[in-house]
Amino acid sequence: MIPIDKKRQADFQIIARWVNKGECVLDLGCGRGVLLEYLKHKKSTYGVGVDIDFDKILSCVKRGVPAYQGDILSILKNFPDDSFDRVIFSRTVEQLDDTDAILAEGLRVGRRVTVGFVNSAFWVNRLSAFFKGRRTINEVYTKPWYESQPSNPFSINEFEDFCRVRKIAVENRIYLSGDWNSECSLSPNLFSGYAIYDLATIV
Amino acid sequence: MNDSEKAPLIPEEGEVGFVEHQDFVYEHPFEFFYGGKIPELRLRYETYGHLNAAKDNAILICHALSGDHHCAGVYDIEERKLGWWNFMVGPGKPIDTSRYFVICSNVLGGCQGSSGPGSIHPKIGKPYNLDFPKLTVQDMVKAQSLLIDSLGIDCLHAVIGGSMGGMQTLQWAIDFPERVGRYIALATGARHTAQAIAFNDTGRQAIIADPMWKQGAYDPNEGPDRGLAVARMMAHITYLSDVGLESKFGRKRRNVDESKEHFEVEFEVESYLRYQGASFVSRFDANTYLYLTKALDRFDLHSPDSLDTTLNKVTAPGLVVGFTSDWLYPPQGNREIVESLLRIGKNATYAELTMDFGHDSFLVRAPKLYELIHSFLSR
Repeated sequence: MIPIDKKRQADFQIIARWVNKGECVLDLGCGRGVLLEYLKHKKSTYGVGVDIDFDKILSCVKRGVPAYQGDILSILKNFPDDSFDRVIFSRTVEQLDDTDAILAEGLRVGRRVTVGFVNSAFWVNRLSAFFKGRRTINEVYTKPWYESQPSNPFSINEFEDFCRVRKIAVENRIYLSGDWNSECSLSPNLFSGYAIYDLATIV
Repeated sequence: MNDSEKAPLIPEEGEVGFVEHQDFVYEHPFEFFYGGKIPELRLRYETYGHLNAAKDNAILICHALSGDHHCAGVYDIEERKLGWWNFMVGPGKPIDTSRYFVICSNVLGGCQGSSGPGSIHPKIGKPYNLDFPKLTVQDMVKAQSLLIDSLGIDCLHAVIGGSMGGMQTLQWAIDFPERVGRYIALATGARHTAQAIAFNDTGRQAIIADPMWKQGAYDPNEGPDRGLAVARMMAHITYLSDVGLESKFGRKRRNVDESKEHFEVEFEVESYLRYQGASFVSRFDANTYLYLTKALDRFDLHSPDSLDTTLNKVTAPGLVVGFTSDWLYPPQGNREIVESLLRIGKNATYAELTMDFGHDSFLVRAPKLYELIHSFLSR
């Protein structure tokens, strides 16, 4: 079993691989600022975090990461085009209210947009729905539906549809298997538990 | 990388204990932003803790409109009034006097020992009154910078302040970027809203309409006390919140002789506000109130240049804190500062605390605020 913190940070190393040295990064839904601290350490980035929760901002302050407490869409609208080399959504997109508008704003504000998300069509989830008629509860999703945040799960195929419909160029994609660690290439929509996409606007 | 959240490491707290004020006298003409001059400048101040050999551990605290230089400790056994930010300043507290040398001065234009409309013109031997020059927040900060010079300090570890103190803090970061290591501005804004100006002017009119004001040339012992008390009562309401007032007073009544009273104190909240008014009059000068509120109304980081252009001079990392129930300096006005700073690529953090104490929330001891300031200063 992979430790829970490793799972939480499944996409950190891959994102760090994509980020160039000294990049200017905006992390939306930054949580406690761990990714930004990691990128600063590994790639000397200048990063800003955004989160709605005071305690998360406090943790960012403790890490020396500048952060903004507030709404993602309104802070995105604050920035001119291409203000950041990269805008990151690491396990944030499924929590958004206005996904389409926010991703469009992300692509306007960042030269690249990195999206890490849990693949809802992972085979374990399918089996659980088919045989138990229930959603999966595991070490990442520990709580029953009535104790969980509202969320809008989606699959790799659905994300591909989105990129095609909205004419977004996928520069890079990496699929991780169920352990969220080793890479998975075979039928990712079925066998991959976690996906990381690097997006750019089509010019 | 460390993902584990450590428990807040706040050491055992102590008190700064007995303190004394000092007077800084700058025996040269001091020129104001709008061109006025005074022949010499005085600032009354207090310090806590010790300046290290490198002189790089100093923190400047800027006080709010009705505050003063006495922000921590007590003066004497007989005079045990704690400084206005005592819970924040002391050994082991967020502004830790065992690590930092803390300075707080009465603002230029004030009435607690610094040069202001009530001080005596050294050449004429009479109070300046309305001959005191037109005042701005820039002037307050420039005067403080001369005090910091006199202490041999090149660069402050931090500048901190709430409300009017927050405006001074921002002005420090703009006017003296090379002298500010970091800054924290609480419950403040880049400029007053129309509502804030409206409240201030109503207060000023209460003073000016008091016949004892005498065009500002009143005897200090017979000033426009009624006007100043009303100004303070009204302003005090704007520092609180409806929820705060309701939970503290509600409709609680005093025991009154119902056979004779018409407009005497009937509700607890009336008694509280009248007490606030009366106690303010005993320690504050009406002309200072006029000068300081006008300086605040004039403060505008959006003018003459845009907010982005003005803040582009800032180099230090900053923290701005808004409070949800503050309707005088609402969260949006605090947020706007950080939005601008981030837009122009500056290192800035915005945090918002959910507290019920209105504008005065920054003066209330709250564990989260405590931890935030402690963390930002020690990083």
